[in-house]
Amino acid sequence: MCCALGSAFPVSYASRIMQKQYFLPSSNLMGARLAGSHGDTQESKTNPLVSLSDEPETLYKRLSILVKGHDKAVLDSYEYFAVLAAKELGISVEKVDKPPKTIERFTLLKSVHIYKKHRVQYEMRTHYMCLELKYLTSSTAAVYLEYVQRNLPEGVAMEVKKTKIEKIPEHIQKPVWDTLPQVEETEVKS
Amino acid sequence: MAAAARGLRGLPRALSVPSAARQLHCSAVCLKARAARVRAGKGDKAVTYEQAHAPHHIGHRKGWLSLHTGNLRGEAGAAQRALEDAFLRRFLAGTFPGLLADEAVLKRRGNLLVVCALLGRALPPHKLYFLLGYAETLLGTFYKCPVRLELQTVPARVPYKYL
Repeated sequence: MCCALGSAFPVSYASRIMQKQYFLPSSNLMGARLAGSHGDTQESKTNPLVSLSDEPETLYKRLSILVKGHDKAVLDSYEYFAVLAAKELGISVEKVDKPPKTIERFTLLKSVHIYKKHRVQYEMRTHYMCLELKYLTSSTAAVYLEYVQRNLPEGVAMEVKKTKIEKIPEHIQKPVWDTLPQVEETEVKS
Repeated sequence: MAAAARGLRGLPRALSVPSAARQLHCSAVCLKARAARVRAGKGDKAVTYEQAHAPHHIGHRKGWLSLHTGNLRGEAGAAQRALEDAFLRRFLAGTFPGLLADEAVLKRRGNLLVVCALLGRALPPHKLYFLLGYAETLLGTFYKCPVRLELQTVPARVPYKYL
């Protein structure tokens, strides 16, 4: 499958909306033929999987990915992979947080009938890793999340939180006291 | 109790109350102190690395045999996965009788179920391929999800120590 962004690793997309303008680097490269990028824009016009759209993209201020697992080594390796993927796609990583592990313990009686003093304890440990990315467009977020989720290891769960940036609604753009009629001041006679 | 008995004496046999015995049903005992531990013997029993280590070594000296998200905090479905795992291991033990060199590793990636098993070399390859296809199709139809069996043959079971 062709990779329109020209990154180092193969990416498979189901469908994605791409920005109409694809900005090429500046004028000092005008004469040179940039085979990769020029070929990509040509291919994207005929590629049925890439759809172009005129509507403005939703912008995300923050994309927070929380990854949970039983094995810390697996989470560490996944963190390396996710940070590398973000860097390759040009996404800025705000921070990589590692919240402390939670342990769920319960105590059972060891024997079937009596022997209250002899018990058995079991525990389940959950390790966490939180990756925060900042300032993404919805198509970038879709691409990154799809790649990262397809390569999620077994036994690892992911939760994604997106923080959208929206325009201030019209009715609160101007302060209220500018629009209210002037109230006449009454003199207080003591 | 006595009054009821007197009243019942007149009734024909077919309408008499069945014997008033109480029954107790309990599930099989989980011997927690002996689970997944091979007891020390005379030194003639060959035991693999997996069998030699007790369950409290999981995460330290052992890995996990079944990888899914059911037991993580805030995730559901642990009981269903445990039941599926139990059935899968019995199914594999029955489909490849006497061939399994070690416990099968079950991995769940999304909807896909991957079963990784080590087998001995008692059967010729064409029979193994048939059993592979049979197991994949049957399990896929049964669990309504894609099932992939990744088999590898080893010459013999590798003993870690003798107990």
